[in-house]
Amino acid sequence: MADMTLTATPALEGYDRTIGTMRLAERTSLSLVSMAIPLDGEGRAATAVRKHLHAELPPATGSTLSSDGSCRIIQTAADQYMAIFEHHNDAFTDLLTNALDGAVYVTDQSDVWVGLSLTGPDAVDALERLCPIDLHDSNFPVGASARTVMEHMGTIILRTGQHDYLLLSARSSAGSFLHAVETSVRYTQP
Amino acid sequence: MTHRIDGGLIDRSQTLKFTFNGKRMDGHPGDTLASALLANGQRLVGRSFKYHRPRGIFSAGSEEPNALVQLRTRAAQEPNTRATMAELFDGLSATSQNHRGSLEFDLMAINDMMSPFLSAGFYYKTFMWPAKFWEKLYEPVIRASAGLGRLSGREDPDVYDHGFLHCDVLVIGAGPAGLSAALAAGRAGARVILADEDFRLGGRLNAETYEVDGMPGADWAAQTVAELQAMDNVRLLPRTTVYGAYDHGIYGALERMTDHLPDAGGKPRQVLWRIYSRHAILCAGATERSMAFGNNDRPGVMLAGAVRTYANRFGVTPGKQVAVFTNNDDGWRTAHDLSARGVRVTAVIDSRAGVTHTLDGARIETGSAIVDTKGRKGLNWITLPNGIRIEADCLAVSGGWSPNVHLTCHQRGRPVWRDDLAAFVPGADLPVGMRVAGAANGDMTLAAALKTGRETANTVAKDLGLTPSRKAAPKAEDEPSDITAFWHVGGTKSRAWVDLQNDVTTKDIKQSHQEGFRSVEHLKRYTTLGMATDQGKTANVLGLAILAEASGKTIPETGTTIFRPPYTPVPIGAFAGRARGKDFRPTRLTPSHKWASENGASFVETGMWMRAEWFTRPGEKGWRDSVDREVEMTRNSVGICDVTTLGKIDIQGRDAAEFLNRIYSNAFAKLPVGKVRYGLMLREDGYAYDDGTTARLSETHFVMTTTTANAVLVFRNMEFARQCLWPDLDVHLISTTDGWAQFAVAGPNSRRLLEKVVDDFDLSNDAFPFMACAELTICGSTSARLFRISFSGELAYELAVPARFGDSLIRVLMEAGEEFDAVPYGLEALGVMRIEKGHAAGNELNGQTTAAQLGLGRMVSKKKDSIGSVLSERSEMNRDDDLRLVGFRPADREARLDAGAHFFTKGDTPSLETDQGWMTSVAYSPSLGHSIGLGFIKRGDQRMGEIVRAHDPIRDKDTEVEIVSPHFIDPEGERQRG
Repeated sequence: MADMTLTATPALEGYDRTIGTMRLAERTSLSLVSMAIPLDGEGRAATAVRKHLHAELPPATGSTLSSDGSCRIIQTAADQYMAIFEHHNDAFTDLLTNALDGAVYVTDQSDVWVGLSLTGPDAVDALERLCPIDLHDSNFPVGASARTVMEHMGTIILRTGQHDYLLLSARSSAGSFLHAVETSVRYTQP
Repeated sequence: MTHRIDGGLIDRSQTLKFTFNGKRMDGHPGDTLASALLANGQRLVGRSFKYHRPRGIFSAGSEEPNALVQLRTRAAQEPNTRATMAELFDGLSATSQNHRGSLEFDLMAINDMMSPFLSAGFYYKTFMWPAKFWEKLYEPVIRASAGLGRLSGREDPDVYDHGFLHCDVLVIGAGPAGLSAALAAGRAGARVILADEDFRLGGRLNAETYEVDGMPGADWAAQTVAELQAMDNVRLLPRTTVYGAYDHGIYGALERMTDHLPDAGGKPRQVLWRIYSRHAILCAGATERSMAFGNNDRPGVMLAGAVRTYANRFGVTPGKQVAVFTNNDDGWRTAHDLSARGVRVTAVIDSRAGVTHTLDGARIETGSAIVDTKGRKGLNWITLPNGIRIEADCLAVSGGWSPNVHLTCHQRGRPVWRDDLAAFVPGADLPVGMRVAGAANGDMTLAAALKTGRETANTVAKDLGLTPSRKAAPKAEDEPSDITAFWHVGGTKSRAWVDLQNDVTTKDIKQSHQEGFRSVEHLKRYTTLGMATDQGKTANVLGLAILAEASGKTIPETGTTIFRPPYTPVPIGAFAGRARGKDFRPTRLTPSHKWASENGASFVETGMWMRAEWFTRPGEKGWRDSVDREVEMTRNSVGICDVTTLGKIDIQGRDAAEFLNRIYSNAFAKLPVGKVRYGLMLREDGYAYDDGTTARLSETHFVMTTTTANAVLVFRNMEFARQCLWPDLDVHLISTTDGWAQFAVAGPNSRRLLEKVVDDFDLSNDAFPFMACAELTICGSTSARLFRISFSGELAYELAVPARFGDSLIRVLMEAGEEFDAVPYGLEALGVMRIEKGHAAGNELNGQTTAAQLGLGRMVSKKKDSIGSVLSERSEMNRDDDLRLVGFRPADREARLDAGAHFFTKGDTPSLETDQGWMTSVAYSPSLGHSIGLGFIKRGDQRMGEIVRAHDPIRDKDTEVEIVSPHFIDPEGERQRG
């Protein structure tokens, strides 16, 4: 056993800032686990997810919340979903792999993405400088999710509350992504 | 303020200070720069494009051809700004443009005297002799004289932004039709965006004296705007020009966010919106046009509707003695409105005979015209055909109104002519989802505009499944709007101007026709009619009519040019948005970036990645010192390199192995769990396009690495294959490139170093041989993946941990490696070592080379089908005398090799016919002590030891090189297997 230990460094070193009425913060504790549905395995996968995550598989642009609120599931591609856990656990992937017992193919994505939460009454004003998705209530209600591109960076956007959004983008370009979102907030705050 | 009159929609309680050419002037909130200049008696505002004739404000809107000024100062200076669209603010600074010397005494005005030599297309006919003078003298002089404003030449200090908006209904233009449409759509519950280029919504309602619903039109507009503003489903975009209609209901719009503020406060000056609409209602109104008569370009000659606008909206009279020249009823409205405001109207000249309008105190001439004007820097007199001269310092001209059909043409829609309006209206072929209402559609009266706006919006509402509001429609009366087409006054020797911005005269158009440029498209290009910043908004129809007359055709027979985006100029800065400087594109950082920055790394861009190219240590005099040291220390002990940038693709599924077998040219189906294999990918055409390693972590789970450059391409191609070629396979792909921090640990001491890091894992050669892989834990409990692969040719591993531990891992590895004198190495040392080892990289896998050429012919399996395997069998790709990748070393070991040099047999004259191949990669090998290279040469594998010429005409070098094995170091691979 090695006598050294590794410490985790958040992609944005835990960035958390309030700009005007808006709060922009890195989500350092999320666990993101991709679940791909085996060919012809939709039924089994849905049952397994219902049993172990206590949630339904959502439609393409929506999301579902587990009954205890600890896990939200979004669809990220055809036959591919992502479980977003509020609290990080290094062993989540193994746990899920075992729990779901081959009903889905599991890939840990926690370190692939950087998570930013954007909260405040002017969130849409800031996001419309970045986000091609129509964020109007009628099109993007609370719980809606979409994959899109913001400032040339692939992004998953999830509306988690009336004025709350979770943005996921590639970890390697986290600095550029933060700059893009922060610039939008600064430009739209009085 | 000598030209202010009562009334208007300006706030006289506040005074705004501004300067024009350094002269201090006053204005009020609600003024444009143009109205404020007129209020201060400034008639001369610029010089014309070609002849440098004095010019004044001509219009009151975005159609302005003359009053282009430079706004703001120093780096923020913006040329060619229309004074008619610049909202006045305190401290505004404007200067006139296109003159040498002062505005009043422009030295270039000599051009006006040389006008016989500068007619349409003069540059095709003159300055032809002597020929050598063109490039040395004529062209530089013409270029120096051309153009209007000047750029500052400095970096623009303002910021710009982009954005995305969505709506059910985009209403373009907030005049009577637009307001009526937005009101109806908004009341029906549609999501509405109402955009208008003006800072005050209302369009002509703010410029006229008509009533709507029993109140002044401007009051109705303000009331309507207030109602719309209170609706949650309506978004108002004043100061916003919808400049282009694009596919699928997408519109481009430029919002001038802070142009009207003295200080933008760090906020974007302008925002370029992409508006996604389900429906659009174009309510762009109409633009008045002039008539051509002698010297009709003098400062003081203006469009009649504009003169009325300045009086009614801005409380300014452009002249103290105003004459009106019209061919329609609208010109009379100007005369009546001015007279009602106490402005002296000296004469009304109507080209129509038998008109019965009257105006007390004014000379009325019907069936008449104006043949000439006088007043060098401002109008003094007009002359009638009978020679009578009438005093006037302002002449209001109305040649009729042209519907603003521009956006209807943006997808090749062609307008159609209406004789009753003497104007083009939108044709039937509109952009998808677009409807047109109001004057833009030829409904020229106020009542008609209000009505069609509302009706169109109600139709759209029904299409959207909404119920139109039952609230009463706004009421107004149809004003007189008769017109009899009249284009130009003949029989005068004076030049009559058609396009003020481009100095195109009636004579130019006729001459163009005489010289054979008879198509309207040719006319435009030959004369420049309708070009430049105003795109001929006031000139096109007039020019067309004169061409039609010259050719003896009707206007419909003559045809028209159509319009493309943008409707009005859009600054390049707005197109760029915030994408400038280091924010031009995203930057990707490796997990060890921070550590590398702290440890002397120099970074290089590889795609979007910033990669350490070398780590400078104190005392090193150049990059070669650092790179040589990194190579030597790695080969002698151990080096560590961040290889996170390599693409990583997680591949899972029951058929994952079969899938890989079809993707790679070599066999993968039987790769054992716990093993890694090098793989080669071919394109469908049989050429090699990427390589890498793939590890099998379980029966159904593989991890692929790709080259950094092709990570996205490979993923995309594999996803295509998965979804479209073989949907019957159970396989899933997901990119994990960013998820793992991966470090190459290479060199004879790499195993000993890693043994200090791994948790209870046997790294011995027997337990974990070359090309093994494993999932394990390191440093106590951190999950990791270990691959025994080598790009350097040394005993080497690649160790991966979740990216969040990447920074920590490089620090731990360096600390653990201290006892071995471990060294970080960068991209250059990595390159040197792979060249020494003879590994192909991007320079060799350039998309034009085959597996056989790369020396990897045996990796294209004949026992299975894979992408590209069939076409790789083509005979031309398998010739024995084809190129082969080999090594090169200089015959004179002191010589330095250069990539890009071409090979020639000794004694041959370098030419395409004798070309034998080219050098792809070179490096100085610190291990060998001389320069080495890789390259393709014909039959290279059969020519070992032969001396050939490496000829480099670009560097003017010729070096004798010896063909050798590409494996300069450890050709048997003993080190990496050790």
